[in-house]
Amino acid sequence: MRARILISCLMVMLAGSARARADAPTNPEVTQHDVLPILLLRCTVCHGTRKQEAGLDLRTRASMLRGGKSGPAIVPGKPDESLVVQRVLREEMPPRRRLVEVSVKTMEPGELATLEKWIELGAPVVDEVGGVGRVTVGTNDEPSGATHWSFRPPSRDIVPPAVNAAHRVRNPIDAFVLRKLEAHGLTLSPEADRRTLIRRLTLDLTGLPPTPEAISAFLHDDRPDAYELLVDGLLASPRYGERQGRHWLDVAGYSDSEGKTNQDKLRHENWRYRDYVIRAHNDDKPFDRFLFEQIAGDELAKYEPGKTVDRRAYDNLVATAFLRQGPDGTWAGITAFVPDRLEVISDAIDVFGRGVLGLTLKCARCHDHKFDPVSQGDFYSLSAIFKGAYDEHDWLKPQKPDKGYIGERFLEVVAHASEIPAVSKDGKVRIRALWDRGEPSPTYLLERGNYLRPGRLVEPAVPAVLAAKTRPYRVEVPWPGAKKTGRRLALARWLVDPDHPLTARVAVNRVWMHHFEKGIVTSLGNFGVTGARPTHPELLDWLARSFVESGWRMKALHRLIVTSSTYRQSSALDESVRREDPANRWLGRYPLKRIEAEVVRDSLLFVAGRLADRPFGPPDDVSLRPDGLVTSVAKDELWRRSVYVRQRRTQLPTILEAFDLLPMNPNCLERSTSTVATQALHLLNNAMVQKLSGAFALRIQREAGTDASALVHRAFVRALGRSPTKEELEVTREALDSLIELWLRQNPEEGEPAARLRALENICHALFNSSEFVYVD
Amino acid sequence: MSTEHSRRSFFDRFGTGLFGAGLASLLSRDLFGASIAESPHAERSRGPKVYDLEPKLPHFEPKAESVIHLFMNGGPSQMDLFDPKDALTRHHGKPYFDKIAGEVENPKDAGALMRSPFEFRRRGECGMWVSDVMPHLATKVDEIALVQSLQGVNVTHEPSLYKIQTGRQLPGFPSMGSWVVYGLGSESQDLPGYVVLDDPLGLPINGVENWQAGFLSPVYQGTRFRSSGAPVLNLRPEVEQPPEIVSRERDLIARLQRIHQKARPGFAQLDARISSYELAARMQLSASDALDISRESRKTRELYGLDDKVTESYGRRCLIARRLVERGVRFVQIFINAQIWDNHSDLDGGLRSACARTDKPIAGLLSDLRQRGLLDSTLVVWGGEFGRLPIAQLRNGKLQGAGRDHNKNAAVSWFAGAGIKSGVVHGRTDELGFSAVEGHVSVQDWHATILHLLGLDHEMLHFERDGLEEKLTHVFDTRVVDEILA
Repeated sequence: MRARILISCLMVMLAGSARARADAPTNPEVTQHDVLPILLLRCTVCHGTRKQEAGLDLRTRASMLRGGKSGPAIVPGKPDESLVVQRVLREEMPPRRRLVEVSVKTMEPGELATLEKWIELGAPVVDEVGGVGRVTVGTNDEPSGATHWSFRPPSRDIVPPAVNAAHRVRNPIDAFVLRKLEAHGLTLSPEADRRTLIRRLTLDLTGLPPTPEAISAFLHDDRPDAYELLVDGLLASPRYGERQGRHWLDVAGYSDSEGKTNQDKLRHENWRYRDYVIRAHNDDKPFDRFLFEQIAGDELAKYEPGKTVDRRAYDNLVATAFLRQGPDGTWAGITAFVPDRLEVISDAIDVFGRGVLGLTLKCARCHDHKFDPVSQGDFYSLSAIFKGAYDEHDWLKPQKPDKGYIGERFLEVVAHASEIPAVSKDGKVRIRALWDRGEPSPTYLLERGNYLRPGRLVEPAVPAVLAAKTRPYRVEVPWPGAKKTGRRLALARWLVDPDHPLTARVAVNRVWMHHFEKGIVTSLGNFGVTGARPTHPELLDWLARSFVESGWRMKALHRLIVTSSTYRQSSALDESVRREDPANRWLGRYPLKRIEAEVVRDSLLFVAGRLADRPFGPPDDVSLRPDGLVTSVAKDELWRRSVYVRQRRTQLPTILEAFDLLPMNPNCLERSTSTVATQALHLLNNAMVQKLSGAFALRIQREAGTDASALVHRAFVRALGRSPTKEELEVTREALDSLIELWLRQNPEEGEPAARLRALENICHALFNSSEFVYVD
Repeated sequence: MSTEHSRRSFFDRFGTGLFGAGLASLLSRDLFGASIAESPHAERSRGPKVYDLEPKLPHFEPKAESVIHLFMNGGPSQMDLFDPKDALTRHHGKPYFDKIAGEVENPKDAGALMRSPFEFRRRGECGMWVSDVMPHLATKVDEIALVQSLQGVNVTHEPSLYKIQTGRQLPGFPSMGSWVVYGLGSESQDLPGYVVLDDPLGLPINGVENWQAGFLSPVYQGTRFRSSGAPVLNLRPEVEQPPEIVSRERDLIARLQRIHQKARPGFAQLDARISSYELAARMQLSASDALDISRESRKTRELYGLDDKVTESYGRRCLIARRLVERGVRFVQIFINAQIWDNHSDLDGGLRSACARTDKPIAGLLSDLRQRGLLDSTLVVWGGEFGRLPIAQLRNGKLQGAGRDHNKNAAVSWFAGAGIKSGVVHGRTDELGFSAVEGHVSVQDWHATILHLLGLDHEMLHFERDGLEEKLTHVFDTRVVDEILA
């Protein structure tokens, strides 16, 4: 089957007349660099790259002189005789009634004065140089403060230290951790028991609790490497990608809606990106490749509109949705003005900055970074890198507006690949991609971040503070004849350099956080000067280095971490640990963790036997009750994992929101963990939880028969991954007996079997509400 | 053992039909956080951040302890309510669109200048102008300070609502109410510090985002109280079971939690979780009490218009707002469904209807707060997200049934109560009412003024986030509007 692919991109173009605003005193008072930004804002949408209405193109002096149907647009030296001035003065241009349609505002008086002045001076043009990626002006100097630890490449010669408790060292992680512990008079806690380990490990790696069968197999596995085999099995499970992929979707800020407006328009085919992320995790796609595709997949794809694409090119294109996840209202004219577009770009840079580089680059949008050696020029140089696809002056709407506005553009692509599902009625596959069109408009630094105050011209460049220590950022055309700037391709290449000081550190730190609750650097998105210092700097560098050396393999990194003694220790709060290290900074115990929102919901479904195994594809719908309760819609009484439920910013499922899933604005590097009464209310009173308790009870009855102890036993193993203690068994049996009696008394006509089932449902409901259900030792 | 006993009887009490009657306070209280509280004004901390609703010291002596924000979604028309323009009447019918084209959201419908359909009169001792469409508020002008020169930044609802609620034009930032309870905590430990009374007829534009906590802890988010029925989601069991059965199950939950906790001494989270279950049950009492207006006198109920279908719904929310501030709730916001002040068409009828629903209840609220002495400690703020244009927005090209389009350059807002210089008018608009020309008040000035009255300095109230000091007033130039302070 041949699927039609539509790539909707924000894009653009502005011919490469980029010029330098040199400081030479001989320069005229007003140059084309003062005028071009004004024309870009007010005119070129209709008289520029995409359209030359009335045959007029206002992007260069030459094209202005050439003019259009009505004659030359400018008469050098004579502003009064210049058509462009006359039309603006007569308030004919830009045409008032079409402003919203094309998201343009009228010229400010000061802007007209600048234009007049330029014409009066003879329309001077200074140093015409440039071309794609070759603009030579506005270089950002390397700032001071470059000695900060995270701006230096991870050290290559770190050797795991010798420690006293050498017998606890399973791999170098333990040596680094023990070294710090011993320096504080502490040591690792004893190893946790096998039941604890399998629950911890299964929830961590797959986001679901272990089954009774898996538990029993592990408990009876006496091979010396039983634990490692268990780890390998879990890493190979398709559930692994759903769990770890969800973490990355948080980094990207994945959402199934556009946000920004109350309408919160759906992003219908965004799930392709979600599926790409899950598959990449399951396939253990090397992380450098994974990043590469997400940053610059369109420049790897060798895809041109109208040509066919294969699975690989499809993946490359879909991957670029990484930086297309932020709130984006620019599909409608009224919310697509230049400042709205700049917000979208700024969010993308923020996601890239904090999520990938661990830097708060966004701070430099309005002024030089207050704490980090990142200048405002750096911010705009970075935005120039994205400009081939994200150009505020030549914008492709992210999706079709509701009404027919002019200026909407989609790229149509024919894909072949039977494995690419098309869901729309027209059989077309729409990909939300970044799409470089090779002709970005020049990038001017915006004073105070104000789009009405363009400053100097900047070139595409990576932050100067990092440039000195990394391979050069060098832009090349992706392939001969490609209509691409190659700027993001160069960024991706630069990013995955083995000596990059941040890429690997930031990545391993995040994985560490998911296992140990806190990162080695606790400020996950801020490795800068105001960020936290690493608690274990050598460990961080060693992990980063070995991650890169392993071929950037995430599964190998997880394996390394979870097979360490550090991971396998007990979470019990020893008195000395509590006294010496209450915050568990030195990891003398495993943290007691509350499971995340998705894990709460998925575990309820899984334990009740109501979790559907139908991965991928369009998300499950949610329903909104008049009182505001949002629930996912089931199919055949089965619900899919939370990652497959529609993530609409304004309609997150209530249970997920109660357990700290926030709408992505633009992303979320670390979930908060609150303990609030709404959580208790939800688990106690919500009908869905009650219904699942009923399903759970039926399942237990089917599996364990009628004996009260057997039932309680089975329910504990399913819900908590262990048998009840003697005390728990007693308390629970007692409750079961009295509940049966109470139900019998309540509904004598229903008979004893019904009463037993109802009572068992109460027991199951109680287990869902137990602390242990949501806490992992 | 005794603890277990009391817990058991506790569940016995609350496991019964009482469930669902109301809500209690600590609904949004982070119980883990409460155990290791930390001042939001403390120096940057590297450890895990925890936040609570314990009362905190303001930056300086406050004038107000509570705020009631009467939010008028849609953008009330200044030149038809508080800002009469003779020039508009004189120039009625003259073209003006081209002068303000870039400021018009719907240029295709833009008509000529349009006079107000309403008569204006000077009211009270202060002689403030109020149009005839607000007869009740007209009797209260000596209690209020009117700002005629509020300026927004956007002509579209969504970003303008974000702006007025959170100081920024984007989703994801904490609302003013969240900032206030973050800074001051709550006086009531039985009710949430920040309560939202939204209209049963529907949510405002931007929905629940109007009272979000953004990057602040979720404990500072506004808690929606529905003004009738169960005020909070899942407060009542959706599947009813006999009380003694519910109680027996709850007892089992409590026992299992206690066994779990005993085996893991020293974990504050686990204590917090147990408390959260107790509170889940406890909260309904205080909420049901606050919401129970049956004990209010007939006279009071009539004061708020509860005896009239048109005013009943908004009046009920105003009355509940009074009961909430009486009980120590810090910040109450009252919303009305959709955008009743968004009079794109039928200006005359639309404004009449919006005023009919809100005018009497609001005047009633001011009278009631005054007579109970609560106006000395409560700040009441009225206003929308922007104002409206002096030109007509035509309907099908005709003036018949025309309205006014959005205008970010001038809007009205009024303040009453604690710390307010009453009977004054601040700021002035041009002769057509299109734009503020004197005493400009930006949205951040407006925010800073409210914070100031609560004893908070807008420069000091901040939250460390990724190396940035986030503030309600961001990095904008901001000044407190001293002219309206007593």
